[in-house]
Amino acid sequence: MTRYLLRRLPSALVVLAVASFGIFALVRLVPGDPVSTLAGPDASPEARAAIRADLGLDQPLLGQYLTWLGQLARLDLGTSYRIGGQVKDLVADGAVNTIVLTVTALLLAVVVALVSSVLAVVLDNRWVNAALSFGNTLAIALPTFVTGLVLILLFAVVLPVLPAGGTPPDGFIARPDIAAQYLLLPAVCLALGAGAALTRFLTEALRTELRQPYVTTARALGISRRRIVLTQALRNALPSTVTVLGIQFGTLLGGAVLVEAIFTWPGLGGLIEEAISGRDYPLVQVLLLLSVAVFVAVQLLTDIVHAWLDPRVRIGGAS
Amino acid sequence: MRRERRPHLLRGLALTLAGLLVVAVVSACSSAVGEANGGGSASGPSEGGVLRVGAGSDLIPASVFTNSSDVANTLVGTVYESLVDYPTDSLEPQPRLATSWQQSDDGLSLTLQLRDDVTFHSGRDLTSEDVEFSIRTWADPAWTVQLQRTAAAITGFDTSDPHAITLTFAHPLSNVFDLLDMLPIIDSESIDQLREGTAYVGTGPFVFESWTPSSKVVLTRNEDYWGEQPLLDGVEIDVVTDPQAQASQLRSGQLDVALGLTDRDRESFEKDDAYSVTEFKGAENAIYLGADLANPDLREVKLRQAIAYALDRQRIVDEVFRGAGTPANLPWPESSPAYDARANQTYAYDAAKAEELVSQLGDQPTLPLAYPAGNGNFEAVAQVVQANLEAVGIETKLEPQEYSQFIKQLIGGTFGGLWILEHSYAQYTPSTLTVSAYPFNADKNASHFSSPAYQKHADGAWQRDSGTDRGAVRIYRQLNQDLLDNLFLIEIAVTPPRVATTAKVHDIGLSKRNELDLGRAYLAD
Repeated sequence: MTRYLLRRLPSALVVLAVASFGIFALVRLVPGDPVSTLAGPDASPEARAAIRADLGLDQPLLGQYLTWLGQLARLDLGTSYRIGGQVKDLVADGAVNTIVLTVTALLLAVVVALVSSVLAVVLDNRWVNAALSFGNTLAIALPTFVTGLVLILLFAVVLPVLPAGGTPPDGFIARPDIAAQYLLLPAVCLALGAGAALTRFLTEALRTELRQPYVTTARALGISRRRIVLTQALRNALPSTVTVLGIQFGTLLGGAVLVEAIFTWPGLGGLIEEAISGRDYPLVQVLLLLSVAVFVAVQLLTDIVHAWLDPRVRIGGAS
Repeated sequence: MRRERRPHLLRGLALTLAGLLVVAVVSACSSAVGEANGGGSASGPSEGGVLRVGAGSDLIPASVFTNSSDVANTLVGTVYESLVDYPTDSLEPQPRLATSWQQSDDGLSLTLQLRDDVTFHSGRDLTSEDVEFSIRTWADPAWTVQLQRTAAAITGFDTSDPHAITLTFAHPLSNVFDLLDMLPIIDSESIDQLREGTAYVGTGPFVFESWTPSSKVVLTRNEDYWGEQPLLDGVEIDVVTDPQAQASQLRSGQLDVALGLTDRDRESFEKDDAYSVTEFKGAENAIYLGADLANPDLREVKLRQAIAYALDRQRIVDEVFRGAGTPANLPWPESSPAYDARANQTYAYDAAKAEELVSQLGDQPTLPLAYPAGNGNFEAVAQVVQANLEAVGIETKLEPQEYSQFIKQLIGGTFGGLWILEHSYAQYTPSTLTVSAYPFNADKNASHFSSPAYQKHADGAWQRDSGTDRGAVRIYRQLNQDLLDNLFLIEIAVTPPRVATTAKVHDIGLSKRNELDLGRAYLAD
């Protein structure tokens, strides 16, 4: 497994290096100017020039890129133009909230997918399948900003049982019971699409497994369909589902940007939106590079789990 | 008989479900909604409670004094105080940190007496040196504040008396009290933390506790406040950038005050007895159509006149601002000394006249019409303007632009056509607008408009000792004529700010600076 991991690492580092250059170039290609946004329309040319020099934006682009790389190498992520604080602190604060939201959504999606898929193949009932198919189609088709608003309308306005958004007044740690209620709606909203996609994939994977000869043999021996699904088919269907789960995690991270805006969840989504609209180069660059790094890490992790679940992968890779 | 082992997977699933069930049961015991809606049970003015304010835009420390975000406005209005306060309906300064003042006969100096019982939130006494420090900070171009030029025209400070200061001017300043109303008195010892957004030390009724970027600002009552103690325990300013999310949070009781609603949402709250929508006079904004005279077609004043006649301003007020506003040809609200009801009707809607002017000019090329994207009001106004102009034979091409790009074009004067935006500060002494606000700036503006007469009138209005006497009003008439004759900015409507609250919020105010005044606010059913 270690050799397998070492083989995958260089390509991940190349992806990160290429991404750093792409991100640096991309944020500067976007029309707009951090100085104009910071100074506002009524600032004098002298004031704008002073701000430009202060931010180091009067330096050649290559110099700015190399300076940024040097800072990254020293683990210095720089200072935000707009917010003023250290980028590492801002990202750390936001990342905790985004990870809590994304991981909760992922857990919900996995639980929903497991329960729905197992039910669909064990019961093998036309009406259950139709209901699950309808629910999945709806969850995939409806955009997050629609499901988010519908959830808020239903559970925060019409039946005021859950908060419409925001964070617990006393923080997440002091009152976990209250925090869970603040987390529930955004997590469900984020999980819907991923849960539906996973359900579809896992259901199909289970059905494929149930057509395998070993299942026919087991059925001939009198073993129940439920037991075959839970003890054999599910485990065999999981490796390919884990790959989809890795991709879904990336989708969830992207979706979190929108969900955080709808539910005013103070994660990286709000931070990236503010950074991009204000052309806060240091913050945008780090956030985008972090997104790439997380995605690369998740893909790596997915491959490792896949290899662990299915020995053929690592043996094939070794040969 | 051997008992069958349940699969690990099934056990994991059951445990996860059980965990979720436990969370749900525990959650049911204590309701976040119930706790959020708590407080404010008394029926009259009562102490206590935290007011939760929904703000549409977050704080930017470098721009905290530019009046450009809901969070900054609320923070500055509650944590800091100025030397004088303007009432919302006039330009007669009222005492705040300054108790009285005396202007010299030549208008070149002003002596202010300061309160001797004021301390900063840090515990340090307020002195005249703090006033000097605040004015010098305001004059520093790096802060890019409105009235920087007026602050920079204050050239001398006599701070020999800790409770009095004499200011000397480079020339008479008609808008010096605008500066003294807008200028928050800041603590010199914490200026570095202020720049970083980690401390805001003022003398006001509330004390800054914390700022979590993109999330919230927390303020608590100043127990040592020199004036009447605030009734609220504190204020929490929540950053809720999405207007629909603000509306939902106001409806669900998570917010008490919503500053960033759309006009349609405000209208629906207005019809509901559980909420209150207050319209504040004295801090008006104005929406306008700018014309870039670098475009050869727009250099023809007849075309600009045709555009001015073609605009159905009442329709814009009714449909976009849901009736909250007044059609306008000039930027001034009714409380301004430059307000002239007759002149304000010069280009009243007259499509036939507009069509006639266009026919005199012959075929017109399509004009670009830029506006900041993502703002429902600008988008709707742009669509009405496009339809109005098309009806009289002027084709336009809508160009929604991301805000940062839009401001860059405004500063660079590179629109090359028409643009829609709003401005403030017309509620102050008129010279504040014509000297400091970029679209109107006689020296340099986004329209590429220059005129010796306009420059002379703008400077004349500024460099005099009074901004409200008869002589000043005479100059304002000339300025009005300059604006109406040249139409480099075509005003559309003056709109008052409106704030939606739940019915349990009482006695909130809004200053001329467009800052929430929560000094006497309280929560009660």
